[in-house]
Amino acid sequence: MTVRHSIATSRVLPRLLTALVALVLAPPAFAHEQAGVGGGLLSGLLHPLTGMDHMIAMVAVGIWGAQLGVPAIWVLPITFPLVMAMGGVLGVLRIPLPMSEVVIALSALILGAAVAMRLRLPFVAAAVVVAVFAIFHGHAHGAELPGAANPLAYGVGFVVATGLLHLCGIAIGTLTRWPAGERLIQGLGVIIAALGGYFLAQTLGAVA
Amino acid sequence: MNFRFGRSFVAVAALVAQAPAAQAHIVASRLGDFYAGALHPLTDLQDIVLWLAMGVLAGSLGAARGRWLVLVFPLGLLAGLVLDRMFGVPSAGPAADAGIILALGLLLAAAARIPTALLCAMAFGLAVTRGAANAADFAPETDRLLFAAGLAGAGYAAITLTMALTLAFRRPDAGPSMEWRGIAIRAFGGWIAAIGLMMVGFAFAS
Repeated sequence: MTVRHSIATSRVLPRLLTALVALVLAPPAFAHEQAGVGGGLLSGLLHPLTGMDHMIAMVAVGIWGAQLGVPAIWVLPITFPLVMAMGGVLGVLRIPLPMSEVVIALSALILGAAVAMRLRLPFVAAAVVVAVFAIFHGHAHGAELPGAANPLAYGVGFVVATGLLHLCGIAIGTLTRWPAGERLIQGLGVIIAALGGYFLAQTLGAVA
Repeated sequence: MNFRFGRSFVAVAALVAQAPAAQAHIVASRLGDFYAGALHPLTDLQDIVLWLAMGVLAGSLGAARGRWLVLVFPLGLLAGLVLDRMFGVPSAGPAADAGIILALGLLLAAAARIPTALLCAMAFGLAVTRGAANAADFAPETDRLLFAAGLAGAGYAAITLTMALTLAFRRPDAGPSMEWRGIAIRAFGGWIAAIGLMMVGFAFAS
């Protein structure tokens, strides 16, 4: 009886453990897509964050603004979302822009290079460069808006995420106060430019 | 012993049977319509963005100009509610709402010095349109007085708190070291204007 009992236990225990491990490791099932205000807000918030080319370009804008100092450091966060929204409107209205993916990849390359080289353009010239890129980035985000679960929530999420990426860049840019921080930022600019170069090559079909 | 226990048991059972249902939440009473009025605008993102923009704009202009909105804004909501019930005010439409978001955001981003009378007129106009929009969802059994009180209370609380928080954040007398706070509020205006601009585009596209 005892022997039979121990055999049964030795068979059941591994199966029980296997079932337990399978249960613990099971990922949650997403049977329902995000809907309503929550879904729109989430997709808007994640859209600028899930595209690496968008994300690094936005952070680079903030860093470059911090490097350029006053007035770029405060004009940028006030006007950039608005200029980007103009591009967003073009995207919503389905007005095509030429070579949008190429320009978006190019923006990361050029902005990264500007940060790496501490490029000191006159304020107006820097503003024009950033504004052109902002329109192309906004166009890509705006094209997604009509299909969002809640367009207003998507707009709120996308603008907030973009603004926070700029703030992130400006916060990183404050490291320029220290010589070591300046070198670190220039290194970051090199990485951003390299990633931009990779995305550009990918867009042009040079790499897989 | 058994007799005493039996008597006690019957007494307890009688008390339990007679106990009325606990009214822990007064939503179950007629006051529920008050909460319906108070919560209705907070469930609509359009209202939240517009109220927030108006409150931050008024707060950024200082206490002397903004304090009038504590009274004007709830009264405007009530006026909108009444006008919609009496005359059926037509909806402003998504393009107009988006245009108002854009205009408020631009005024905030530009740090425009708006005169008190104009600020009050803008707040009253906005409140009338939002009051009318909230009245559209009246059910036939809704207690209108309680709903209106709830809506006006929510408007009063939202606009007062937003203005107070903006004023406390801005601290205009704190000196040059705090100038970045004013810039942060203007950047927030840029965000609101961007949202409004995109929604204007969406309204024309759809």
